[in-house]
Amino acid sequence: MKRVGLVVGLVAGLMLGACLRPAEERAVRDAKVGLGEGGGLSLVVEGGLASVRGVAPGEVVLWGNAPVFTARATLDADARPDWLVTVRNAMPDAQLVAELEDGGEVLAVEPVAQVVPTVKMWRVALRAGAVARLRVAPPGWDSSAPFRFAALADVQEALPRVGDIYARLTRDDSLRFILFAGDLTENGTREQLMEFQERLEAGSRIPLYATLGNHETFTGDAREYTSLVGRGSQSFVFQGVRFTVVDSSNGTLDPIVEEQLEGWLEASRQGTHVVAMHVPPQDPVGLRGGGFANRGESAALVGKLARAGVDLTLYGHIHSYYSFTNAGIPAFISGGGGAIPETFDGVGRHYLAVDVSADEGLREVSLIRVD
Amino acid sequence: MAMLSGLAPRAKVVSGMLLGAWISLAPRAWAQEVESTRPSAFDLLSRGPELGGTDLPRDLPGRVTVGPAKRVTGWEAGAAAGADVPLSLPVPPPAVPGPSSEPLSPLARREEFRVLPAAVSVVPGLLFHGLAPLVAGDGPTAGRLFAMEGTGLGLIALGGVPIVLTGASRRTIAPLYAVTLAGFSVFGVSALASLYSVVSPTFDPGVPAASLPPLELEMGYQYVSDTSFDYDHFVTLGGRARLDTMTLEATARFAPDEGNTQVRLGGAYRLLGAPARRLGGSDGSSLDAELFGLFHRFPTEGFTVGGGEVGLRGRYAMARVSPALAGSFAEASIGMALQGYSYMGPVDDGNLHEQLLFTFGYGVWLGRGGPLRGEAMLYYDHRKDGFAGGLRTFGGGVVGNFGLRGRVLLDERWGVAAEMQAGGALVGRLSLIYALDGDA
Repeated sequence: MKRVGLVVGLVAGLMLGACLRPAEERAVRDAKVGLGEGGGLSLVVEGGLASVRGVAPGEVVLWGNAPVFTARATLDADARPDWLVTVRNAMPDAQLVAELEDGGEVLAVEPVAQVVPTVKMWRVALRAGAVARLRVAPPGWDSSAPFRFAALADVQEALPRVGDIYARLTRDDSLRFILFAGDLTENGTREQLMEFQERLEAGSRIPLYATLGNHETFTGDAREYTSLVGRGSQSFVFQGVRFTVVDSSNGTLDPIVEEQLEGWLEASRQGTHVVAMHVPPQDPVGLRGGGFANRGESAALVGKLARAGVDLTLYGHIHSYYSFTNAGIPAFISGGGGAIPETFDGVGRHYLAVDVSADEGLREVSLIRVD
Repeated sequence: MAMLSGLAPRAKVVSGMLLGAWISLAPRAWAQEVESTRPSAFDLLSRGPELGGTDLPRDLPGRVTVGPAKRVTGWEAGAAAGADVPLSLPVPPPAVPGPSSEPLSPLARREEFRVLPAAVSVVPGLLFHGLAPLVAGDGPTAGRLFAMEGTGLGLIALGGVPIVLTGASRRTIAPLYAVTLAGFSVFGVSALASLYSVVSPTFDPGVPAASLPPLELEMGYQYVSDTSFDYDHFVTLGGRARLDTMTLEATARFAPDEGNTQVRLGGAYRLLGAPARRLGGSDGSSLDAELFGLFHRFPTEGFTVGGGEVGLRGRYAMARVSPALAGSFAEASIGMALQGYSYMGPVDDGNLHEQLLFTFGYGVWLGRGGPLRGEAMLYYDHRKDGFAGGLRTFGGGVVGNFGLRGRVLLDERWGVAAEMQAGGALVGRLSLIYALDGDA
């Protein structure tokens, strides 16, 4: 009896601990995204902005989760130098630039034509025993030209119909990529995530960069998401605009993510900064309370974002469209990917078309209906 | 990784403390099974008239006569409706058939703890709430608890299914949420009532305090383990003034090292039931209208929240449901808060945030008419703006927090209050109470 009580007590204690930091394991796991080894090649994607789907002798496959990323490739002295680098979910006009870390010598890169616009492939002549930096980016990635992207979230069980949204997105040639604020799938299983990616490649001419939602955590605390898509919390810069996504799928930010966020906020204090996450810190319908678990934490977060000069916040989780402000920052909830819709809101499936500029900040946000 | 070593242990320490307390207390609880056959000196003392206990065996109808007189109602045979009579007057035979031929000895044994109904009250009793009293042979209580459970599940379905189907629509969420939470509260109360019904025969039930002091002051310590905030240690102050049908309350929590300060002021007006100062003659059931103001400053995080809240709070003596539940009560409250956030620095936000306030709990009265008076309650609190916040779950931040609190006056002057909450944070609080002009 006493032993049973002890076991029950231990389980209760562990559960209490888990409730305090439910996102800790995911935050720790994030640090392993973008690491891969095989065939004498050691690969480290900076910032975890792409997940390594496979490294075999002479072949690397990555799933990009940012329009621009750099990988550091260390080749063993006795490894083969010719490698085929494939990046799925890449910008359609992405190019690969490879150069040696020591001396900056540019290595030979030969593109291999692909049918799918977001799948890019290159043959690269690496140098045995040397470290090379591989940068995948579209032309003009470091300019400050204004651009447009789409904001979308919450596809979940509407995955079989998601092609409608991609078809609508395709009608707008100016969209560069989709920023997805979580809940790609219903349960976050490997099969569902694979289907999501297959449908994306089949239907969309632009890539989709995501953070996870609470539905991805339903299976193995989002291990499959981490493996197939990438980090839940990350930050990248495109054409002078910083994009930061953080894992808020438990209605909180883990202290590890909070610390990372502070770094990203500091790095972009003077520039244009878009922050996205799945669960909004504050639900504009307060009686519903679909935001963070602690209102003090949510106020602390949006206050911090506001003081750091964040220009726009984008959220999902709530299956409708809301335009509001949090701590004075323009905020949008756009959970229009097709999951059980909020009724009586007159919105339905939708996404946002967002115009931003490095110099002007947020220029315009448009609601685009799909149905 | 420094964050890991700096913050995680703090939560683990509290978890460990709770765990340790649980483990260390548990054997004593198990020992009751053995001890119940031989009353200890403490048993004899606590059940004696010195502490308001009764010399009468609890199985006699007269066991509920200890303490205040009760206003009898028309169903009480032989008494005029509305007449003030002591409860020692004849009352209907208890619904639960029990041994009433025990000797009238001060050392009369309580009913022995029965393992089977207690075990059934947990598994599968937490799913089938009337099963445990049924196993214990208390059919009427079983029937009522099954009915309560069914009502709770029905309300959950009535509110919850439309919430899912409407995608938690902003147009309908408020009433649907209220119905769903009401369902959870009825379900939760019937589950706890089932547990109580099978253990209550082993002790003499408490009664509501016949009278409470007009003014109570308290001071204590609060510890908060929250990975999202730097604060942890708090000084707590409080005051409660009972003015006939009005009760005024003020609480303050202050973190001396970090500066976090929360002040809550307000009061309650008794709409139904006896005034809090003069509960004698009532069974403790009541309905209050509440109005509070809240100010909470977060200096480290750089914002202040202020607002007001209004609501209704009801308490129901569970003896009205079944004699087996005598000494316990159910409590529920519903209300709404409106709050504004003021951020430090060049940050502007004119938003007003509303919040649904909802609590329910199951409690017991402590004391049996003597100077020792108080209550303890296990509860759920839906609010997300307190130190405990809401649970950080797979569904985001929808669920509130759970807690256990107790408040007891040990004599006419001094008392203690304690509270533990588990939500997104762990909170523990211990206070010393000083009562002015206590008139037990």
